[in-house]
Amino acid sequence: MTLLKLENITKRFGGLIAVDDISLEIETGELIGIVGPNGSGKTTLYNVISGVYPPEEGRVIFEGRNITKLPAHRRAPMGIGRTFQIPRPFSSATVRENVAIGALFGTLSGKVSVDESLAIADHYLDLIGLQAQKDKTAGGLTPTDKKLMEISRALAMKPKLLLMDEAMAGMHPKDLDDMVNFLKKVAEEENIAIVAMVEHIMRAVTGFADRVMVMHRGAKLIDAPTAEALSDPRVVDVYLGRPSEVKHVEG
Amino acid sequence: MIWQLLAGNLTHGLLLGAVYGVATMGLSLIFGVLRVINVGHGPFIMVGAFVTLTIVTALGMTPLVAIPAALVMGLALGFVFFYTVMRRLIKAPEFTSLLATFAMGILLEEIIRLIYGPDFWGYTWDVGRITLPMTVIPMSKVYAFIASIMVAVFLYFWFSKTRTGTAMRTVVEDSEGARVCGVNVGWIHALSFAIGIGLTVMSGVFLTMFIPVGINPYMGGGYTLKAFVIAVLGGLGSPYGAFFAGVIFGLIENGAYVLFAQIPGVAPFSLTVSLAFWMLFALLLFKPTGLLGGK
Amino acid sequence: MRFFYSSLLDFWEESEIKISKYYPLIPVYAAYLVLFLVGFTVPGMWQLMALLAFYCALGQSWNIFMGMTGYVDFGYVTFIALGTYGMALGITIFYQSGLGIGIIFIGLFLALFLSTLSALLEAGIALRLRGAYFAIACIAINEGLRHLIEGTRVWGGSEGMIFWQELVEAFGRETTIQLTTFWVDLAVLIIAAIAALITIIFMRGKIGYALTAVREDEDAAKVMGINTMKYKTIAFVVSGWLGASVGALAWGLKLTHVFPPDVFVIHYTVECIVVVLLGGAGTLLGPVVGGLIYGLSKYWLAVILPGFQLLIFAPIVIIIIVAFPEGIIGLLKRKAKGTRFEKYIM
Repeated sequence: MTLLKLENITKRFGGLIAVDDISLEIETGELIGIVGPNGSGKTTLYNVISGVYPPEEGRVIFEGRNITKLPAHRRAPMGIGRTFQIPRPFSSATVRENVAIGALFGTLSGKVSVDESLAIADHYLDLIGLQAQKDKTAGGLTPTDKKLMEISRALAMKPKLLLMDEAMAGMHPKDLDDMVNFLKKVAEEENIAIVAMVEHIMRAVTGFADRVMVMHRGAKLIDAPTAEALSDPRVVDVYLGRPSEVKHVEG
Repeated sequence: MIWQLLAGNLTHGLLLGAVYGVATMGLSLIFGVLRVINVGHGPFIMVGAFVTLTIVTALGMTPLVAIPAALVMGLALGFVFFYTVMRRLIKAPEFTSLLATFAMGILLEEIIRLIYGPDFWGYTWDVGRITLPMTVIPMSKVYAFIASIMVAVFLYFWFSKTRTGTAMRTVVEDSEGARVCGVNVGWIHALSFAIGIGLTVMSGVFLTMFIPVGINPYMGGGYTLKAFVIAVLGGLGSPYGAFFAGVIFGLIENGAYVLFAQIPGVAPFSLTVSLAFWMLFALLLFKPTGLLGGK
Repeated sequence: MRFFYSSLLDFWEESEIKISKYYPLIPVYAAYLVLFLVGFTVPGMWQLMALLAFYCALGQSWNIFMGMTGYVDFGYVTFIALGTYGMALGITIFYQSGLGIGIIFIGLFLALFLSTLSALLEAGIALRLRGAYFAIACIAINEGLRHLIEGTRVWGGSEGMIFWQELVEAFGRETTIQLTTFWVDLAVLIIAAIAALITIIFMRGKIGYALTAVREDEDAAKVMGINTMKYKTIAFVVSGWLGASVGALAWGLKLTHVFPPDVFVIHYTVECIVVVLLGGAGTLLGPVVGGLIYGLSKYWLAVILPGFQLLIFAPIVIIIIVAFPEGIIGLLKRKAKGTRFEKYIM
């Protein structure tokens, strides 16, 4: 059964069409990249999937269930996890407590105690390398560590589908490669489908994704295996750009 | 007979509503620009009332003099409160500014009580009356009405035509964007807060021109509730909405009073006040953005 | 035999770990015990003890909602007022029923019942809103309910109710005096202790984590799977129960009358705010410390500068908010990190 099926999702804000008739299918364990310039509707799409707001048209089907109108907090226990572009830690709690929240309210919700959640938090923090910061207040972390904590928190939810928003932005190439390998490993071990969204870090996409969807002005430009998608002439024209041409800045 | 009573009351309601509207514009302005609810709103109105009282009884002048006096006092209070307290709370969690404005209100009440005592004051200002087919209206109320309209019109032009007014509107829309465009957002915050408080204190003068009795340090609380209802009705953050909502509220309040008074065995005044509460709840339940738009 | 011992040991080890979770209650209960002993043994101190117990209980009750969620319920005094009415109704309706002490419990039950109704109504409307709108809604409820009672002339209208006579009829003069001057204050202290226990159970439990998330970033909390409405409502209702209990006892039973302009006064909400903010919102020990300091200050001020309490405390609230928002215990918690005292201060 397909893990996530998006059928003709359209999201409008007043007169602005943020997401324009997007359809997409994601299987369990797949590694997908969503690529597109700022303003192409990627974050809006994520918001529709994670339930921040419903789409004007279209359906979101998760594991065969129509979750289009389901409130956000019901989607996490079903297995949809998410990180944010600008990390949103629960600042006054410790790192450990932050990650434990993921475990407490994710797919294990109702099946796991507070102590067990803290243990799960420890596990993921060790895995990602934040064990030294465990008892620090989340608000005092460096931006990079906040991103790492955000990822651990999402993983502690034991999701089936993980939506990552610009997780690699601002990373050093070496760290980036480490992160890509880490994600691939975790995805395989825990059978998570990971959708990574990036604006322009092609290195993250090429090393990571099996398949890429390119978005442009809210619409899907192409949806194909990575190499094919990134070398498609439309993509190159609209997005990657031809250096010899003068381009005007898009609004 | 009741229709005449109703029509008379509605006329009063219309006039009073304009005063309510101006009284609430300050609240909406402060919320629009600073995203802060002035929970101490009522006490500031009370300050304006006492300014009027002092000018009329102690200095023997007409309440019209109190109008600019109260405005200046309000602006001063606004600037002082902003720079000592509010400015530091912009980045803090929301509840801190709620608590701070609340405490400010309490402080004002206590200071006034210290100076004037807890008793009820009043004054008389008889400048004649107008006789209409359905009712008789004292001229003082008419003056209050006219003054309120003038303030509202002035603000309309100020927001749309002047540089500073436009700058304020941009900060309401998008403070970061405004900053990037060169607007001195910090100054706009201070000015908006000061003007908001100034408007509120000044409206206290109009209110006493309408109801020149019952002036006491604790009179503000009831007006805070009314102002909230009006502000939500007009759309929090929209001073224009607040004005029109004020008029609507004045009409409803006075109309309801007449109707409640027909019911035997109840206290119509108290019921009217609780009506405000039911209205607010209905609004918050069904249309929190207000009937007239806004944020 | 061996098996028995080892499983007993296992049980002890397990519960040992669980008991150590509750270490932070030790300073709280120690304080309450001292309070009781001093009040009981030193002549003339009982009234002061009662006052301090009142503020501690009130602070702890208010803290359960405000401290954990960050939402300020400006109309909290409504719960206290409804509690008072509950007790008043219980006594005035049932005093001739021959149920003895039972009527007090009926009063308490009515207090809780009324508070639940109000809490659910408020929760259904106000809790769906955020910060500013929520504050407005709460103030509205306070004013609205008061004027509704006065306006419809129900429950004594604006005159309220007095029930000293009814109590005397039910219990006899001697017992009534004992009830209203000793047992009621002890009961308030017990409520304070219960409130502390509930606070720590919440804070350490799933609901504590949920509410921390709500307080910090409500939208992110929802995406993490937290049913924010459910947890906010639970905290709100429980906080209301405790407030109502305090009202039923410390105002209702103790003062034997209820009078709308007295009970719906928003100034009591100010007192809750001072107590909790001073001690440290969202901490266990905070409201206790705040309650003790505020209660003592008020008592002392009432002697030397009567009528000036609010004038002094209003700017203090402002100063705390601006300069000192974590409160005394918040500060202490930070300082105690890494020391052996850490596990006692929460």
